[in-house]
Amino acid sequence: MSQPPIAAWYFDGRSSRRHAVTLDVHDGVAVVSGEVERSCPIDQLRVSERFNRAARKVTFADGAYLEVRDGEQFSALLQATGHRDTTVVRIQQNWRATLAATIGLIMLVALSYLYLLPLAAGVVAQALPVSVDRQVGRGTLQFLDQHLLAPSALPPSRQQAIVSRFTALTTPVPDAPAYEVVFRKSRIGPNAFALPSGTIVVTDELVNLLDDDDALMGVMAHELGHVHQRHLMRRLLQSSAVGAVATVLFGDVSAVLASVPALLVDMKYSRDFEREADDYAIAMFSANGLPRQKLASVFEKLDSMSAGRQQPAPYLSSHPSNEERIAHILGSR
Amino acid sequence: MNEHLDSNRQPDAAPPTFPTATPAPDAPAAERFVFTGRGSEYFRIWIVNLLLSVVTLGIYSAWAKVRRLRYFYDNTTVAGTSFDYHGKPLAILKGRAIALVLLVLYHGAFRISPVIGLAGMLIVGLVTPWLIWRSLQFKLYNSSYRGIRFGMRGSLGGAYINYLLLPITVFFTSGLLWPMAHQRIKRFQHNESRFGATHFSFHASIGGFYKTYLLGVGIWLAGLVVIMLAFGGSLLALVGGDRTAIGAASGLLVLVFFAVYIWSFLALPLFFTLLQNLIWNNTRLGPHRFTSNMHWGRMFFIMLTNVIGIACTLGLYTPFAKIRAMRYRIESMSLLPASDLDEFVASAEPPGSATGEGVTDLFDFDLSL
Repeated sequence: MSQPPIAAWYFDGRSSRRHAVTLDVHDGVAVVSGEVERSCPIDQLRVSERFNRAARKVTFADGAYLEVRDGEQFSALLQATGHRDTTVVRIQQNWRATLAATIGLIMLVALSYLYLLPLAAGVVAQALPVSVDRQVGRGTLQFLDQHLLAPSALPPSRQQAIVSRFTALTTPVPDAPAYEVVFRKSRIGPNAFALPSGTIVVTDELVNLLDDDDALMGVMAHELGHVHQRHLMRRLLQSSAVGAVATVLFGDVSAVLASVPALLVDMKYSRDFEREADDYAIAMFSANGLPRQKLASVFEKLDSMSAGRQQPAPYLSSHPSNEERIAHILGSR
Repeated sequence: MNEHLDSNRQPDAAPPTFPTATPAPDAPAAERFVFTGRGSEYFRIWIVNLLLSVVTLGIYSAWAKVRRLRYFYDNTTVAGTSFDYHGKPLAILKGRAIALVLLVLYHGAFRISPVIGLAGMLIVGLVTPWLIWRSLQFKLYNSSYRGIRFGMRGSLGGAYINYLLLPITVFFTSGLLWPMAHQRIKRFQHNESRFGATHFSFHASIGGFYKTYLLGVGIWLAGLVVIMLAFGGSLLALVGGDRTAIGAASGLLVLVFFAVYIWSFLALPLFFTLLQNLIWNNTRLGPHRFTSNMHWGRMFFIMLTNVIGIACTLGLYTPFAKIRAMRYRIESMSLLPASDLDEFVASAEPPGSATGEGVTDLFDFDLSL
């Protein structure tokens, strides 16, 4: 081989002494000469990965190594001896491949955000027994009773009538999980929500505002949709995954910065689940021959109420807009 | 001790000249740490690491870590030669797997019953000092310079005093003892570390840490007072007004919150800077000394532009940001050799286990500095 010898530092691994040497390769044998004389077949040497500015290292089996001072000459020598960079290194050092990797990563993240994560959360939620949901929601109602809710002022006979009418309806998908409907007076105004424990809470204020049992059935069907399709568990899984990814990406810089995208993504998933629960309510109304206008009237009433107050009702936060939901309910087949 | 502190502080004013240039005529000149890593190159390593880690559901992250650290070590040079990282991906993967299992068990414990959960917490608390100790050993043992490995002797008892007893004491004294605890922890880490057979030593006093904390916290508090005075007047004027004023007052409160957040963010680099300078100006390796002359303004500018860059590029600027901060921190340091650097010898020592390092990675402790 006609390569000129390459200047390097030799370290023996026992002392920090720096030896000036030259490296040369003859017939597959590396020859070190200068302040240290040593030779070794090249297949017993390990060469460090290629970086732009860092000196490369050639390590012997006993821990001694060479730090090569001239990168370009050394690259030529490696090429001549048939050394090949690993695939990962070749991708890392190639802008076009890196660009492809970047686009691939962005597409993967987008795909996960739109389809893979909701799909995976659905599968995981399916695999988890319902009892896990119940465990998560245990104690929530008790907490709310202590801080936000008061016992219902509705007569028990009225409560009973609403519940028995609702339980008599057929669900659009069979095998609805066990659930319980409870009524509460609240400081949060007209509202209804489902807990992971399978409890559907309806406030007195909502019953009075709607003043229409058909519309009330719509609200309860929507909440049953959340329970039946395990939205709370799925949202918990999805927001945990999003939180973890955001922390990996932005956590180093600022915790506040990391929480912003996580929050935005969580809102999107929340709206998706609301639409799904609306679809469940629509299907339930069809299955029981109830007029769909009654379902839409829920949002019309909430809309008129929030318009007067100049503040969105709590029921609507992180939800799709009322106009969109009304149009969807009336428009869907 | 204070004399050393002062003589080391002097180069702050004039970075290019060092005190070693004047004394002992045969003493070698100061050796600046040089960092040759560049954002454009690290970006490619980072993005490939990230993609492969995601595609392999995290398994590749152990290899990614080795690639990342090799890049940082290979590109850090002092006295004309670079550092080297020897960690094995499989050892790191094993550590991470164990850490993950422990983490899942830990979270599951509270679901089963609060008693088991508390017992789990207690066990984690008891095991953590051991894990930190092992992780420090692993990290140092796998670092080398000029073919000589770093290492850590440190007794397990010392780890328990510093990482369990001291934090508990700090907790029960509402944080007043934290600067003292910080000095003890750093003293433990640096005094017990060695390069080959040569030991590091740590000379910063508890008083020095209190001074730094008082300065850092004092400046931060002074800023808070200014914010409160600036907004407090208008807030008082609004309170007691009519109902529309309440909306304005809550808007102002949000503004105050943001002002405090931004101010804290500005004050943080000042604190980092003071601490790194304090710690490295008072660390020695045998007879050799170090200097660190970071400037607050520069660090602040880097951190601010980094956050803006990362926010505007949805995270793609992260590797550039990391390199910029790292480069400034590393290049602020110099080694002041007392004699020739050829005289260090290796020492025979047992390798550290990777489990500790994996766990501290997951629990996100920052053991550097």
